Amino acid sequence: MIRIARDLPSLFRAMMHALLLIAGLFAALTSHAQNDTTPDAALARLLVEAREEAATPGVCAKPDIDRLVRIFCNKQIRAGVRENYPLFGARDGDTLKGYDTDVARAIAATLKVELAFSRVTPANRIALLAEDRIDVAIATMGHNKQRDEQARFIRPHYYESQSILVGPKAISIKDWRDVVGRTICVTIGNGSNAQIGSQGARLMLYEDAGALPERLRDETCSLAVQDDSFFAFHFTNPAFAALHESKLSFAQVPWGMAVARTGSDRLAGALDLMSQIFHRDSVFLDLARANRIDFGFLEKQREVWKRPECNISKAKMGNTDTNCVLPPLANALQATTFAPAITAFEVWMLQNTGVVLSLPMFKTMPAWNLFKAGISNSLIMIIGALAATLGFALLLGAALGSRSRPLRWAAQALTITMQSTPVVLTLVIAAAVAQVFFPYSPMIALCAAIFALGLTNGCNAGQAIDEAMLTLREEQGHAAGGESGVAGLFKVAVGRSATQIVSFLINAAKGTPIASFIGAPELLSALTDITAFSSGRATTYSMLLVFYIVVVAIVVYLCGKLRTYLEQRKGQPA
Amino acid sequence: MTLLTEHLLPVFLPQLLAGMAVNFKIAAIALLLGLALGVPLTLARLSGSITGAAASTLIGLLRAAPTFVVMFFLFNVIAKDAKVFGYAIALSGVMTVAVSLVPYAAAYVADNGAEALQQLRRGAPLAALLFLPNVGRAFFVLVMSSSAGAAIGVNEGIAVILREAERLPATSDKFLLFAVGIACFGVALQVGFAMINLLKNWLGTLLARKDTASSQS
Repeated sequence: MIRIARDLPSLFRAMMHALLLIAGLFAALTSHAQNDTTPDAALARLLVEAREEAATPGVCAKPDIDRLVRIFCNKQIRAGVRENYPLFGARDGDTLKGYDTDVARAIAATLKVELAFSRVTPANRIALLAEDRIDVAIATMGHNKQRDEQARFIRPHYYESQSILVGPKAISIKDWRDVVGRTICVTIGNGSNAQIGSQGARLMLYEDAGALPERLRDETCSLAVQDDSFFAFHFTNPAFAALHESKLSFAQVPWGMAVARTGSDRLAGALDLMSQIFHRDSVFLDLARANRIDFGFLEKQREVWKRPECNISKAKMGNTDTNCVLPPLANALQATTFAPAITAFEVWMLQNTGVVLSLPMFKTMPAWNLFKAGISNSLIMIIGALAATLGFALLLGAALGSRSRPLRWAAQALTITMQSTPVVLTLVIAAAVAQVFFPYSPMIALCAAIFALGLTNGCNAGQAIDEAMLTLREEQGHAAGGESGVAGLFKVAVGRSATQIVSFLINAAKGTPIASFIGAPELLSALTDITAFSSGRATTYSMLLVFYIVVVAIVVYLCGKLRTYLEQRKGQPA
Repeated sequence: MTLLTEHLLPVFLPQLLAGMAVNFKIAAIALLLGLALGVPLTLARLSGSITGAAASTLIGLLRAAPTFVVMFFLFNVIAKDAKVFGYAIALSGVMTVAVSLVPYAAAYVADNGAEALQQLRRGAPLAALLFLPNVGRAFFVLVMSSSAGAAIGVNEGIAVILREAERLPATSDKFLLFAVGIACFGVALQVGFAMINLLKNWLGTLLARKDTASSQS
């Protein structure tokens, strides 16, 4: 016992030396690990810390822990994926297949936790993140600046798509000039809609992309635009591929996984680093090949993330060097100066009346400009159609009542032809004739529409004038009347047919929205374009209906005044 | 002429006629719905009370509603999975066009129905029967107006013509195609109007005979 007591100080010293040595070694090793800037090391550190924190008693019960820690607490990650997007996220019985779902599996495997899938749609994927019902959305989501405000996107991006214009092989489309005046089927909210609308094409809106291939097959749509990733599956169908082809490609969009903007910093950091590693090590590329999707973008990204300057981490995050990561798509629309007031009004309406009002046409500059131009063009259309109807009515009324047989027969042939032609076809023919002489422009379409509406309604009104002249001749025995007699008779006939002339003038005003069919930039066309890239269809089309009813009511009132004037003239001596 | 004899007449024409059948179907539905709405409006309008004023206002609104805008309103606002009390209320393309034509049809029926009822009250039942040819005329106007359905992808006659036109590269071929389309619609319309005129003339003759008989008695 005495000897042990005597040796205690030296034993203590030896132990202290050993401890110092171990501490030194540990410090050296830790220092080396801390200095390792590879994404692998940064990810390992991040995961170790989160696991340790999750293992600390009481932490998992806290409500505000980072989602990465909670994933380790629950030993499960919740991934939001799509179930109706073949090759990316599609249900096959009880299993989900596709590139996105495989990416989710790779992430869960790296984290060494269970994976729980949740079905998401384009409409709810960001909301489900915010509501904490999923941890990560891997759901064919394009990364743009607008969405950056709603979710935290993981970079580098895990895929990239582009919009393609698909149509039958029989239709020749070489560039954007060939789509002018054509109807293109699109899905509401697709980021490329504004670009398509600006090319002079008509948009036919669908809520779900799934409808587009079917509408192409049954020829309801002759052309459709959607992501190439979407059509990739349909082109694997020999019957579809035999008849259809991609005509144009445009609007590249990087796809990003996304997590909630709050409470997900460490999860986002871990996914950033994982994404870097997956690119560098061809994990994404192999998954794309396995799912038979286009992998050109992933090959390029692999080369980028293999470069030493890119294959690094920063703090607890991935590399944010702009020479390595791609920027989000810059699609943010410039807000109007009164956008906040409009938003406040929408909120006030909802809170005080329960009415969900959405006024996208007042919130962004492109929508506001389209709206203003739509209103002014509609008014020009209406005034032009009224003037053209009146002009053609007088012209054809005179020609039909003329004593010259060739002139009369020509006018009769034209009248019968116009009466036998549905107005939509008349508009299309007018636009086709205009394009023979002039290059297409919205103004040419506007003029063609005014001409077509004026001619259609003018023929009918002209026939009414002619019938009035016939009855007047029978009544007054004017068969041998001179030039002045004919002119006088014509004036009286116009007065007598005032009711019919007015009804066709009203008809012309009511018919102006149909001009949107040939791409005339009137209000219906403008609002369809606005709703193609924003929300609020119910409010928008309700406003449109009210606008036209009010305008037609004004036209009815003014035409009533015109009828009174014409009928008063009828009573005056010729 | 090769295009006409080898393609347009043997291949395209049957497709066009099938498409035109859709136009007739839409017009028939619209007219039936228009009668269902227009007749009560007529009766309400002639009642002369506040109900009459309300009916007149409603008829004015129906008259002012542009068909094309109503069609886009229905097409875009009613969700494809919309339900009321558990019943699906989503409209097919054909029904969307038909319902969009109802304001015109109902206003027309209300206007002409009022005239017919007044004739009936004056003791002129044959004059009141002129309501029938007028309804027939409205039917053919509705057939022509239903071509607006092409804008929302309804496979009616004009949609068939436009689809075919997109496949023809030469402008001259397109105009030939349009001429065939106009001829088909024109024949249907002119035959229809001729039948209406026959009916109108027959009723007119009956009316004249009755007037003569009553004046002699």
